[in-house]
Amino acid sequence: MDSHSGIRSRQELGSLANRTNGAVRPIPDELAGLDLVERYRELLMAAPDSMVVVDQGGEIVLLNDQAEKQFGYPRDALIGQKVTNIIPEGFAERLIADGLRSRQDALAQQIGAGIELVALRSDGSEFPIEIMLSPLESPDGILVTAAIRDISVRKAAEDELARTEERYRGLLEAAPDSMVVVDQGGEIVLLNAQAEKQFGYSRDELIGQKVTNIIPVGFAERLIADGTRTAAEALAQQIGTGIELLALRKDGSEFPIEIMLSPLDSPDGILVTAAIRDISVRKAAEDELARTEQRYRGLLEAAPDSMVVVNQAGEIVLLNAQAEKQFGYRRDALIGQKVTNIIPVGFAERIIADGLRSPQDALAQQIGTGIELLALRRDGSEFPIEIMLSPLDSPDGILVTAAIRDISVRKAAEVHLLEKNAELKLSNEELSQFANIASHDLQEPLRMVASYTQLLSRRYKGKLDADADEFIAFAVDGASRMQRLIQDLLAFSRVGTTGGEHGEVSSEHALNDALVNLRGAIEERDALVTHDPLPSVRADAMQLVQLFQNLVGNAIKYQGPGVPRVHVSAVRCGNRKWMFAVKDNGLGIDPQYFDRIFGMFQRLHKREEFSGTGIGLAICKKIVERHGGTISVESAPGEGTTFSFALKESR
Amino acid sequence: MNLSSKQSGASHEVLLVEDNLGDVRLTQEAFRNVAGALRLHVASDGVEALAFLKQEGVHADAPRPDLILLDLNLPKMDGREVLARIKADDGLKSIPTVILTTSDADTDIAESYRLQANCYLSKPVQLEAFEGLVKSINDFWLTKAKLPQNQVPS
Repeated sequence: MDSHSGIRSRQELGSLANRTNGAVRPIPDELAGLDLVERYRELLMAAPDSMVVVDQGGEIVLLNDQAEKQFGYPRDALIGQKVTNIIPEGFAERLIADGLRSRQDALAQQIGAGIELVALRSDGSEFPIEIMLSPLESPDGILVTAAIRDISVRKAAEDELARTEERYRGLLEAAPDSMVVVDQGGEIVLLNAQAEKQFGYSRDELIGQKVTNIIPVGFAERLIADGTRTAAEALAQQIGTGIELLALRKDGSEFPIEIMLSPLDSPDGILVTAAIRDISVRKAAEDELARTEQRYRGLLEAAPDSMVVVNQAGEIVLLNAQAEKQFGYRRDALIGQKVTNIIPVGFAERIIADGLRSPQDALAQQIGTGIELLALRRDGSEFPIEIMLSPLDSPDGILVTAAIRDISVRKAAEVHLLEKNAELKLSNEELSQFANIASHDLQEPLRMVASYTQLLSRRYKGKLDADADEFIAFAVDGASRMQRLIQDLLAFSRVGTTGGEHGEVSSEHALNDALVNLRGAIEERDALVTHDPLPSVRADAMQLVQLFQNLVGNAIKYQGPGVPRVHVSAVRCGNRKWMFAVKDNGLGIDPQYFDRIFGMFQRLHKREEFSGTGIGLAICKKIVERHGGTISVESAPGEGTTFSFALKESR
Repeated sequence: MNLSSKQSGASHEVLLVEDNLGDVRLTQEAFRNVAGALRLHVASDGVEALAFLKQEGVHADAPRPDLILLDLNLPKMDGREVLARIKADDGLKSIPTVILTTSDADTDIAESYRLQANCYLSKPVQLEAFEGLVKSINDFWLTKAKLPQNQVPS
């Protein structure tokens, strides 16, 4: 097949033939004197094609060897015969003048044109031919020389090409994207209906036009070879890649596209098929995303804590400058790496779904909670961190943003605090144990001193002299005071070491128990102790009795000469609490002493006036505080005193 | 030391196991006030108490007590072990054994009864209260309570 067949039109072929063969040509002068037939025969014989010379009557006057061979006749069998014997249709008709036109006209219409016809061999088989006619003036009128070429092979190729082209066009039309086929000259040779619609042109308006009309920049340049590369190289660089460009509609509007190129071998060289997709929507989304990401990145960098964004595979996708600094890595060294490089244990496990839970569940379990973990710096040193996780929707799935705070200082403080706390607890326990043991062990020898001085006093009072009686009396008094002191100390230390089991206690029962214990004092002073109905509270029963006993005991003790009156009441206060009050008509307390009276060994009266160790109210304060409350006093000298404390209501 | 305080015409034999001489004397004084006929024998540690009860060595002719008053905190062998040995001894376990101690700890009380003490008493701090307690012991254990007849220990 020659280079002029194929996708190029047959008309072009014809015009090419025209240029070569020209119009009617006279026989050259130098041949005039020779035997015409002989001279012409030589020319004919030398021609590569079959040549047949026919007169205006349609009879064969001359033919060459090639023609003999092609049609399968000996020369004599054809000379003088009708040309219709070998070319049944289409040739003779063109030569012979009919009623509508002269012979000259008939010939002129056909001269030079490559006419495709069917020829007939002597064996009756047909084959496709192309004939080229040229006129030849002769004494017998104008003869026509027909150059006949067997185009069997070319026809078969043309048919095959047509079928291929048909198939390709079908594929093109079936494609969902706009398809434009462009040659190496940048001209559009083919396009599909989608492309027509997308660019707003009809097919005819685009075929043969420069592709830059619809894709102004970036496509044609890629196809066309420049000085530094061949067309094949130019193409190879671009094949298959998704290239984002701007496209131009007929109305002048632009839209973003992505094109995918693939090469297409054709008889005219390599063509490029471009699949063109409108990515307006995607671009808009991408732009939005980029803006969001930009904003997010800004937030990330502005955050005071290290921020690391991790995907569901546990890989770091983003981090801020603080994180770079904290972990001692450059950003590039961390992006794409496993987060376990910097937080070896406890983070990745929480993000990644396992067999028991979905990624959502895994994530949901951790969102927002402060998790304390160990982090690893590049230099291998560890430091304690607290991370707070939050989910981040992204096109690639849910990412997790971890805010990471170095809690070294806090942890150290916590440890220090725990140590101090333990020390304090130990010291408290030791002190309490010491008080308990000391007071108990002090009691033993003191019991001896007290008992024997009392025995002395009883057995020898009045039998020795007055001094002896006085000395013994001081010894007895000192010993018994010391005994009360030790007993009160013991009671005070026991408030701290025992109890704490707070159950439901009737405060009225507790008060009554206290009054039984105070019976001696009450009878001695003829005291009048009254109370309102009292509620049940949450308390340690023994300690509540002790509390009432100390307060009512004080109320009876610190009195003038009149009848001691004590009233115990309780009113609701706040949420599930009762405010108790123990009110007396006693001596009262100067407000300047309010702070002191609850301290240890604090006494306001001379021993001769009122006995006491100065521990009773300290015990009361400790009991109330161990019940989660506070004790307070209201009083003025001569106005009586009211002690108040709150206890929790029992459920 | 003189282990027993002999009293003429005693009808009751009481063994006081007590290492504090002050307490021994106080107890003697208190019993003197309330009991007419009583012999108070004193062992000042656990080992001596058991020797007395088993009539060993110098105690070969010691009488079998009608009542034992036993302190818990004793040298050599403490009161809990003395109690355990008395109650494990078929010849001795019928003798009423009263714990008389300064301790009022719950654990001591529980442990003593678990070891089959017949009674647990805390020594009161005040002299009068102590005297009252001794009177109560005399009134109950030596007067009202019927005690098993004296048997020769096997």
